[in-house]
Amino acid sequence: MADDPTRQLEERARAARAEFDAAVSAATDAAALQALRDRFVGRKAGLVTALMKDLGQLPAEARKAAGASLNALKQAIEGALEERQAALAAGEREARLQAERVDVTLPGRPIPQGGRHPLTTVREDLEDIFVAMGYEVYDGPEVEDDYHCFEALNMPADHPARDMQDTFYLEGPGGLLLRTHTSATQIRYMVENERPPEVRIICPGKVYRRDDDITHSPMFQQIEGLVVGKGITLGDLKGTIEVFLHRLFGPQYPVRFRHSYFPYTEPSVEADLGCINCGGSGCRICKQTGWLEILGSGMVNPAVFEAVNRRLGRNAYDPEQVTGFAFGLGIDRVAMLRYGIDHIRLLYQSDLRFLEQFPR
Amino acid sequence: MKAPISWLREYVDVPVEAEQLGQDLTKVGLELGGLERVGDDVVLDFEVTTNRVDCMNVVGLARETAVRYGKPLRRPAADVAESGAPASEVLSVAIDAPDLCPYFAARVLEVKIGPSPDWLRARLEAVGVRAINNLVDLTNYVMLETGQPSHAFDLERLPAPGLRARWAKPGEKLRTLDGVERELSAKNGLVAASDGTPLALAGVMGGGDSEVHDGTRLIALEAAYWNPLATRRSARSHSLHTEASHRFERGADPAATRFALDRIAHLVVKLGIGSVRPGIVTAGAIPAARHVVYHPQRTNRLLGVRVPEGEHRRVLVGLGFGVEGGGGSWGVSVPTWRGDVGSEIDVVEEVARHFGVDNVPATTPPASRPGRLRDDARFARRVRELLAGAGLHEVISLSMVSDAAQRGVADARVRLANPLSEEGDALRASVAFPGLVQALQLNQRQGRRDVRLFEVGAAFLPAADGGRPREVRRVALLVSGPDPQARWSGRREGADFAELKGLVDGLVESLGAPAPTWEAEGAPGFLHPGQSARLRLGDAAIGWAGALHPDVAAGFDLRDAACLAELDLAPLLAARAAVRFAPLPKFPAVSRDLSVVCPPGLSAAGLESIIRGAAGPTLRHVAFVDRYAGPQVKAGHVSLTLSLRFSDPDRTLVGDEVQRALEAAVQALAAAGAEVRGVA
Ligand SMILES: [Zn+2]
Repeated sequence: MADDPTRQLEERARAARAEFDAAVSAATDAAALQALRDRFVGRKAGLVTALMKDLGQLPAEARKAAGASLNALKQAIEGALEERQAALAAGEREARLQAERVDVTLPGRPIPQGGRHPLTTVREDLEDIFVAMGYEVYDGPEVEDDYHCFEALNMPADHPARDMQDTFYLEGPGGLLLRTHTSATQIRYMVENERPPEVRIICPGKVYRRDDDITHSPMFQQIEGLVVGKGITLGDLKGTIEVFLHRLFGPQYPVRFRHSYFPYTEPSVEADLGCINCGGSGCRICKQTGWLEILGSGMVNPAVFEAVNRRLGRNAYDPEQVTGFAFGLGIDRVAMLRYGIDHIRLLYQSDLRFLEQFPR
Repeated sequence: MKAPISWLREYVDVPVEAEQLGQDLTKVGLELGGLERVGDDVVLDFEVTTNRVDCMNVVGLARETAVRYGKPLRRPAADVAESGAPASEVLSVAIDAPDLCPYFAARVLEVKIGPSPDWLRARLEAVGVRAINNLVDLTNYVMLETGQPSHAFDLERLPAPGLRARWAKPGEKLRTLDGVERELSAKNGLVAASDGTPLALAGVMGGGDSEVHDGTRLIALEAAYWNPLATRRSARSHSLHTEASHRFERGADPAATRFALDRIAHLVVKLGIGSVRPGIVTAGAIPAARHVVYHPQRTNRLLGVRVPEGEHRRVLVGLGFGVEGGGGSWGVSVPTWRGDVGSEIDVVEEVARHFGVDNVPATTPPASRPGRLRDDARFARRVRELLAGAGLHEVISLSMVSDAAQRGVADARVRLANPLSEEGDALRASVAFPGLVQALQLNQRQGRRDVRLFEVGAAFLPAADGGRPREVRRVALLVSGPDPQARWSGRREGADFAELKGLVDGLVESLGAPAPTWEAEGAPGFLHPGQSARLRLGDAAIGWAGALHPDVAAGFDLRDAACLAELDLAPLLAARAAVRFAPLPKFPAVSRDLSVVCPPGLSAAGLESIIRGAAGPTLRHVAFVDRYAGPQVKAGHVSLTLSLRFSDPDRTLVGDEVQRALEAAVQALAAAGAEVRGVA
């Protein structure tokens, strides 16, 4: 019985299987797996391949069952090899990913971090609000003359209102000066306007006053607005300023108007905003009043139209036909309120410790 | 203007507490600046605008209060019990200069000088006026009450028994009450004695020699109307600003002269200070009231609301205006204390103030055309965004700079006639220099090394015809110190010309303008002569760029080198070309790298031009990718690596064609003394 070829073949197959099972779990890399493949299912010298060749020595009635059994063995070995290979590959990938681990708390490679000046941000916000309301942004010169800066604005020489606007003058003849307010630019626009009397402009820009103390800067920025046309009313002025202040600061703050005085508007009104710092209960910023003085305005004084008409030599802005309103506010003041900046001079000192606080 | 509410209540019934009164008067144009409790009184401090000198007194404030609440106004008592010989027997007055003084009035009082009663002292001190003696205190009291300054002369110390108003002669002298001996000019108005001796700076300050003193018995009490402009010029010529000049400069009430004299006389008798000689001696005439034609409809149109006719009338009458006629056109006479009201619009404002801006409904005018940001403003915004995105911080520096510091910038500069200091005695002729360099200096002093700044703003250049200077919009940039991005890339070097040039060219390209030409000559003298360039766009010089000259940098005590540039914005805006789509290449491009050793004197631009000329039109793109100067190349030579890209829009290039083009380039380079080290 010992040399029954069928039993012999079964015995050799069992031995091969046992050997393979022991070896496959010991294989730890692709080379070892290839060696196993060669030893057991290799086309030339594989043990299982050899067994299959020996099938022919079996009696015909035993051949079929033995063949099926050997095929199953071959498939099991190949399947186990593939499984093992996949497991090894997964392990290698895992190891590689582990090796590639970074410290996510380390800072990133910086991208350039510059920024616009906070006054630019505020100025552009103001411009955008008014452009959306149909205003043209008009940029006038910073060096002006007496006519545009004072005379046409109903402030003749020796007018007491000039005391408040101590002026820088240029050397040389001509009485040239640095504009003390952007109101000068509304005159320039009216004189140069191609479609009088229709006007709807804002004029942002730098202005200069000969003030030299801790709460003033000799240069600062204002924005001036001017609307002229038929039937423009004080109601229009109120509505426009309310819309503008609510868009700039938010609709939750009340707006208060009170009468005031400017030589170039009549009636004149100042607009106050409910204090954005304390909500109106009173604080240092609003000097305990609950209100922030934010803007001066008024209906264009007919004397201004008349001064422009004289310069033009024609009645382009007939005070009997057209009315208008003008307003002005400090861009610096808005920026200081918005960001809580306590010293105006910081705005003009180019200190990176200051500038870097404002996202662009 | 400080006013105790107890004083106001003497002339008007105030139906509210002091806080509310302050708020209500604020709305009509008298802004409450402060509120202070003094004993059981409350002192309100109003910020009176320059046009409303009529409210620089208690009666004026009471009048506004009366109109605000619809209450009657009571005038201070001014009936006078006179006694003795007529005033005109001991005092005469005259006006020599009607342009200085239209009306001059005086009374004669017999007094016993002493301290004021306590209530008077307390009231003066509550509003911040120092008590002196009973007579001077009374003049101050009545000035605060009626707005009319008056001046008491010791009649017995006058060199002659008469007062006259006249202009000073240049060189005359007067010792004023503040003890200062002043040399007078023709700008100064005077009260002089009838023999000509100067006694007081008219409308500004009294003189010391005729001052009331403890032994004074006979008083010449003067109250005049001084021309506002004359008073202003006179006070300014001595840098003086007094309670009196403040009021006269802004236009006092000519009719208040007599009233103030009567009121003081009334109080002199009432308080037992002395007696009053009969009569007021006067010269000149009180100017007649102005008349204005007023159309209520004009107010209604301007406000955008129908103000009831009765309201127009109530406000005007309450404020002291005379109103005649009715219907559409009224005749309005202006009270003497309202020198600020001269035209119809001034009357409109009065009605508007007391009708109240709160009663005007808010509307918005419809826009007749779309809003617009002009191209140059939009362009400046883009410049700022690009440079901020490139890591630079925007600064805004003062337009005033030291003229000495910008001497190297321009030959002709715009100087200020009245600078605050030498540090700012001129307008900047450059935005970058010295402005940005000073900003760098400031930041370096705070220990900051990496500094990258830009500014967009005007440089001021004198006009050829002496007219308004040209204001040229420019962008300026400055880079200094280690690149903050170098942290992880191992680059440690500081800012250099290449970084600056990269920024400038990148900016210009992003703005859509053609690349400027960099010329090694013609840059300003404050730049390093070997590391600077003048920038051109076509024929126009549009700016400059370069490293700061080491000597200049040393002058600023700079720790790191700095590179800076400045470009005009207008030519860049004008040079922007419309973007046109180019079809994508259908055929592949061929790339080759070329390493060339450049001899001294051959610039990169020259090298590129040789290569392009020799290689022909299939060479589409040339990029400099590496630069080396060191032991491997001859002194003065530079090894440059260029990346060349060849293509043809109509076909695929064959290897031979590219090879031939390359060989042509190599030969041309050799002819120019440049050796090709390798082609890859
Ligand atoms: Zn507050």
